[in-house]
Amino acid sequence: MTQLVWNGLFVGSFYALVALGYSMVYGIIKLLNFAHGDLYMLGAFTGFAVLGAVGGVSSSMALPVLLAVLLATMAVTGLAGVVLERVAYRPLRGAPRLSLLITAVGASFALEYGMRAAAGADPRVYPVRLGGTPLEVLGARLTLQQLVLVAVAVALMAGLNLLVTRTREGRAMRAIALDPRTSALMGVDVNAVISRTFFLGSALAGAAGVMAGAYYGKIDFLMGFLIGLKAFTAAVIGGIGNVPGTMLGGLLLGLLESFGTFWLGGQWRDVFAFGVLILFLTVRPTGLLGERVTERV
Amino acid sequence: MKGPTPEPRPEPVTTGRDPAGPEPPDGDRTGARKVRLRGVSRPPTRASRLLANRWAGLAGLLVALLAPFVNATPYALSVMTSAAIFVMLAAGLNIVVGYCGLLDLGYAAFFAVGAYTGGVLSTRFDLPLLATVPAVLVVTVVAGVVVGAPTLRLRSDYLAIVTLGFGEIIRITANNLDVTGGPSGVYGIPPLAGDPVAFYYLTVAVVSLAVLGAARLGRSRLGRAWRFVREDEDAAEAMGVHTYRVKLAAYIAGAVWGGLAGVLFAAHLSAISPASFTFLQSALVLMAVVLGGMGSVPGVVVGAVVISLLPEVLRDLADHRFLLFGILLIAVMLLRPQGLWPARSKEALK
Amino acid sequence: MRATPLKPLAALAVLALLLAGCGQGLLGGGDDAATGDGPIVLGMLVPQSGGEAAIGPYMSNAAQLAIDEINAKGGVLGRKLELKTADDACDPQTASAAASKLVTEGVHVSVGGYCSGATLPTLPIFGKADIPMIIPAANSQELVDQKLKHVFLINGTGSQQAAAAQKWIAKQGAKSVALMHDNTSYSKDIAVRAQQLLGDQAVIVEAVTPEESDYSANITNVLAKKPDFVYWTGYFQEGGLIARQLRQAGYEGAVMVADGAVSPKLAEIAGNEAAEGVYATMTQTPETLQGAENWIAAYKKKYNADPGPYSNQSYDAVRLAAEAITKAGGTDGAKVVAALEAVDGFPMFSGPLKFTPEHTLANGGFQILVVKDGAFTLQDSLQ
Repeated sequence: MTQLVWNGLFVGSFYALVALGYSMVYGIIKLLNFAHGDLYMLGAFTGFAVLGAVGGVSSSMALPVLLAVLLATMAVTGLAGVVLERVAYRPLRGAPRLSLLITAVGASFALEYGMRAAAGADPRVYPVRLGGTPLEVLGARLTLQQLVLVAVAVALMAGLNLLVTRTREGRAMRAIALDPRTSALMGVDVNAVISRTFFLGSALAGAAGVMAGAYYGKIDFLMGFLIGLKAFTAAVIGGIGNVPGTMLGGLLLGLLESFGTFWLGGQWRDVFAFGVLILFLTVRPTGLLGERVTERV
Repeated sequence: MKGPTPEPRPEPVTTGRDPAGPEPPDGDRTGARKVRLRGVSRPPTRASRLLANRWAGLAGLLVALLAPFVNATPYALSVMTSAAIFVMLAAGLNIVVGYCGLLDLGYAAFFAVGAYTGGVLSTRFDLPLLATVPAVLVVTVVAGVVVGAPTLRLRSDYLAIVTLGFGEIIRITANNLDVTGGPSGVYGIPPLAGDPVAFYYLTVAVVSLAVLGAARLGRSRLGRAWRFVREDEDAAEAMGVHTYRVKLAAYIAGAVWGGLAGVLFAAHLSAISPASFTFLQSALVLMAVVLGGMGSVPGVVVGAVVISLLPEVLRDLADHRFLLFGILLIAVMLLRPQGLWPARSKEALK
Repeated sequence: MRATPLKPLAALAVLALLLAGCGQGLLGGGDDAATGDGPIVLGMLVPQSGGEAAIGPYMSNAAQLAIDEINAKGGVLGRKLELKTADDACDPQTASAAASKLVTEGVHVSVGGYCSGATLPTLPIFGKADIPMIIPAANSQELVDQKLKHVFLINGTGSQQAAAAQKWIAKQGAKSVALMHDNTSYSKDIAVRAQQLLGDQAVIVEAVTPEESDYSANITNVLAKKPDFVYWTGYFQEGGLIARQLRQAGYEGAVMVADGAVSPKLAEIAGNEAAEGVYATMTQTPETLQGAENWIAAYKKKYNADPGPYSNQSYDAVRLAAEAITKAGGTDGAKVVAALEAVDGFPMFSGPLKFTPEHTLANGGFQILVVKDGAFTLQDSLQ
């Protein structure tokens, strides 16, 4: 039982990290950024390239080196997110919302198959692996490395939450989410704030990519697709646009999958997870922590 | 996001009556003519006048009909037939997304329901595929109600994820059940016409009717109610439109279109499997709708043709075709944010 | 209403016309099949995009290698061989269009087919054009269930592989076996057949979702049944992760994978420690055949990469096609099919070839490999 919970929480923290970027971007410009999962993939490959450039890493140094790589990757994917927004999304800001969806899907294809052209279709294997000896905690097997990854994820998420709720920058973000035009009138540099939001969200996805690469080991050019979908789901469960809600949503989705597998078997897992999601949304149509918003009034 | 007829201001929809059934198109004649007069006050550009020419449509159909006389290789026929089926899918989704403004990310579910119902019934009971059409209609209507009824009260983005969820549930269920053939799916489905050329013409005919029907529906009273709901659901409700039923009607119409397209699809490929009904398929249909111009029937048809043919045109690039496909999508949207052939309307889009 | 909704069909037609050139219309009446002394064209559908894109090059490269070798020796019946590949993306619709494309391009024999689900809709397309199919990789039972004259499988079938697995499991004295598959037709087929053969010994059949990274939930399920043998019937990407995660979860029994997972990448992904001692059911591979070093060397020299899954079957498919065309004295579909049916003892990687009446291999030729120092080596030939 505790094993199931732990499995769910561990997977869920990856979902949550990726979902945050989704959620923030959605919260601010109401864009379903389909390319977000591919920034996760880009992060994994960037980390792979950086590690390859660094050369051999002894396993005792693995964690500190990985942390450094993590930061470098976050910078790269963050910038990639900013470029993506500038090139593919900003010019369409006044266009129908769904037009942005097309450029997002286009960007997703371009990133996936661009990476394929650059790195090949074969999966790559990370040169550094976080293995570690498992510990027994309350009947669940977990490794120190897993704990470190979860801690990093939690730290990143907590930092983000502080940023959004406590800083001027965060206030600007929330203001734009409420009403971009008025925010602009009040002196908020809307474009700059949106750029920075993309930077943050993409950086988090990149971080998740490196962590997944280092922990699971295998990366390939399509690895972002499925987790992108999951992250979207997680963001919606939690209340899209809401930072703590999204984190909860990610963890909840991880738990749902873990328990769904246990109760119904792997083949029905996604049916279970989506079924619960649908039931849940019909009961609580705005997600876990989403606020009730009256639309278009 | 606009139907083919420009309406500067949503007209109040008759209250009291349930608008959940298609109206005879004749009822709309005068309205349409009046609107046309109004439209003149906005001088159309030369290009749009050309595009708006009714003859262009007939010419288009003619070209589609003549195409096999120029090129009837199996490849060309296969690709053109697929494109036509895809047009029908896009026309169906356009009812849901374009007319009614409901974001559906799981449209492939209805496509799958139609294809599987036709395929399973015809192979299990040795029926000709045509005989399964009534059953397909019933099943897709039920599917539309089942998916729509619990979810249509949701806000748009939540609706998106729920439809996505249903899409996945249908696909995974088809993958897991024995009656649907599991992961290999159903094979040996009887063709609708013996000869690929005949089947192509049959498909073009069915798809033309479907597209025409969708356009008619969009101009009917129900169609106006859909657009009203899309533009302002609360106002529509206040004006007496039973928004829930109207939305459900859009859903059911979309489901039927998708299901019938599924039957054509099953006949075309002769074998169907869950791999054809992934989220990607739903996303591609949605892209066709948006790329062409939401709510615009000609736009959606063009969008569908582009989305389904572009990967084939780019096929010779092999490894790089999806890279280019993605870049082209971005470029097209940047150049024409309203879609390739947008519905002409002054109404702002959400 | 200004616009008739039909008009955009124009665009469809125009694009279609652009697509395929001209002179091939209904009235052209052209039987465009290349006859005479042009090259003999072999067509190959392989995934080049999508989730299985990694497999495509392994197959098409090996096929090209065989063609180059044959052409270097003067070709077939004095004509050169030529390979045309098309991307099926492992998707039925794409595969169907791709098959039609190959037919249009005048392919004489098809030597491709990797994903069973995507290969199924191509059977009638090639059949109608009277093109024999030698399918190197796809091996689902449904492919031959329709008893089509022109369809030949040269990969061992799921039931043969399951039988080999059962044999080895019995030899190992394993008592409770967990079967894991990825819910694709190839993989589920082997798992379900193995389950039937094993009876009560199979304690769980667990499906995983491919292309994910974390299988700990599935593994928790599997380990709850306390198996002493786990058989993974999917591909190497997930196989490597599963082998690794099984060990991390404290599993100490044996792990075996099916032929789709036999790749050096498996050991790389799992890490050498977790991969060591992983068994595999596999048809004969260059690595396990004596005298195949030359073949591997030739492949490496040409492509600067190792051969991979189904490289040898693809290579054999081309050679077999050349042999059948030679025997048939031409590319006439029916004659080539007859020649294929008559083949007896044609040397292939999987052993001397003779087709069953069902057009499958009489002997799947499955053997057991084991990972040693990161590479699959022969453990037991099961003879």
